[in-house]
Amino acid sequence: MSVASCPRLFEAEAVRDGRLSGAELASFKRHATICTVCSHEAIVLESLAAPLRSASSGQREDELHVRRERTRLLAAFERTLFTSEPRPRYRMLGSAAVGALVAVLFLLLRLRATAHTASASHVLVHADSTASWTKSSEADQEKIILERGALSVRVDHSSGPVRCIVVLPDGELEDIGTVFTVSVEDGRTTRVAVEEGSVVLRIRSQPLLALGAGERWSPTARPAASAASACAQCAPSAELSPGAQLSPPAQSSATVRSAPPLAASAAPDPLADFRSGVAALSAGNHREAAERFARFLAKHPRDPQAEDASYLRVIALQRCGDTGSMRQAAVEYMRSYPRGFRHADLEALVGDVDR
Amino acid sequence: MSVRRASTQRESCEVAQTDPDILRRLATGEISALGELYDRYQDPIRRFVGRATSDAEDVDDLVHATFLAAADIAGRYDGRPSCRPWLIGIAAQRIRYRRQAFARLVALLSSVRGALATAVDPRQELDARSEVERALVRVSEPKRITFLMAEAEGMTCPEIAEALQIPVGTVWTRLHAARRELRKALEEERES
Repeated sequence: MSVASCPRLFEAEAVRDGRLSGAELASFKRHATICTVCSHEAIVLESLAAPLRSASSGQREDELHVRRERTRLLAAFERTLFTSEPRPRYRMLGSAAVGALVAVLFLLLRLRATAHTASASHVLVHADSTASWTKSSEADQEKIILERGALSVRVDHSSGPVRCIVVLPDGELEDIGTVFTVSVEDGRTTRVAVEEGSVVLRIRSQPLLALGAGERWSPTARPAASAASACAQCAPSAELSPGAQLSPPAQSSATVRSAPPLAASAAPDPLADFRSGVAALSAGNHREAAERFARFLAKHPRDPQAEDASYLRVIALQRCGDTGSMRQAAVEYMRSYPRGFRHADLEALVGDVDR
Repeated sequence: MSVRRASTQRESCEVAQTDPDILRRLATGEISALGELYDRYQDPIRRFVGRATSDAEDVDDLVHATFLAAADIAGRYDGRPSCRPWLIGIAAQRIRYRRQAFARLVALLSSVRGALATAVDPRQELDARSEVERALVRVSEPKRITFLMAEAEGMTCPEIAEALQIPVGTVWTRLHAARRELRKALEEERES
């Protein structure tokens, strides 16, 4: 039998591609055991594929490159989360041409008036249709003045620490994290919802209030449970003291600007400890904040807020000018959270110090 | 306008999850789910893209685009235990889009300059790992992708057909042609 002579040679490839089954497949397998041409063909076809199946044959990227690409991917994905949804269908069914024209004009006016997207430097603001607000930048601080309506604010800390303050008719709100929404009606703050990071809310004649990721505040309702409750494994029962009516059981030293030292005899409350650090940070007591975050990390190393605490500790040390400790804290963060979201921030921070 | 956002998954909360679980979380906009998916599959996707394209310079962008596209359509994942073939399919589509866009650009430039762009194969400069991989570069891209999906990724012909949105008969034809071209390229390489 010559190489070209076996009439069933094509079946070697057909088997490989799954084109034969049942009796045909069994028949060819029997044939291949006695036909050297077909069995050789099967071996040759396998030799074309085998080197490609070897995982080790791939050129492996260095770990740093992979991590860099991972960060780039997550940042790009995060940007896509803040895209505008398609506009609702205009109620134009059955409307006359004049009505449609009015609708278009109305839409244009609304767009001009409200759909501003401030993409300046570090702060991205999305306003609802009723919002009246302004934004200004001063040195390393971004100030947003909200008179009415709702704003969704995202603060980009990737290029270094940014201070963002929302001035409200009845107080102000300072960003410590990245994403939050704030609403104002009739000259009063009506709602604050934090989606990522944390904020400090200062309403006149009320105690300072720190809100973490997943928490909401309104003057009449108790804030919602922390996002950490979504994870039963690591959920502290995060009930936050309301800003308007600070109830005694929830009254946390963390929420008051002049926060006293943590009571050693108190039951462990990771959230209160965390807020204590945030409150000190927002009050400008950076050294104290760094120490409180360090204590928090020592007491609650596995708490969901531990990564935030570790990051904020670096920020606190940076603000009090302790470069050496700040660098050490940044290294500890990166070592403890090798896939943490603040690597870029801290690398930039350390880089700035080095320069 | 709304902000689609899920709570940030903490490192300490992470447990080994199945691919469908990760994709369900990703469909809700959970950023950490994308990180997990990337950690799990970036290596095979990068290898596939690197082998499938003739231009090593945009492998990163194609891998990037693959995962972003996966995040975009995660809600439509069919729930198979491993999403690797699904990701490979997305990667193959991204490569095809890139090729089509590139072809249009070359056609435009050629019409302007009256000459075709010089064929340069940057992969030749890469550290190709095996004789078969070097020879595979000489197989046309559609056939090469089909061949890689079948032989390197172990996808069935119907799966490849679905991923590439082509008839299964076309998959068989491409596989046959790819093997023929690959064997020829190997022979020429050995002779030279």
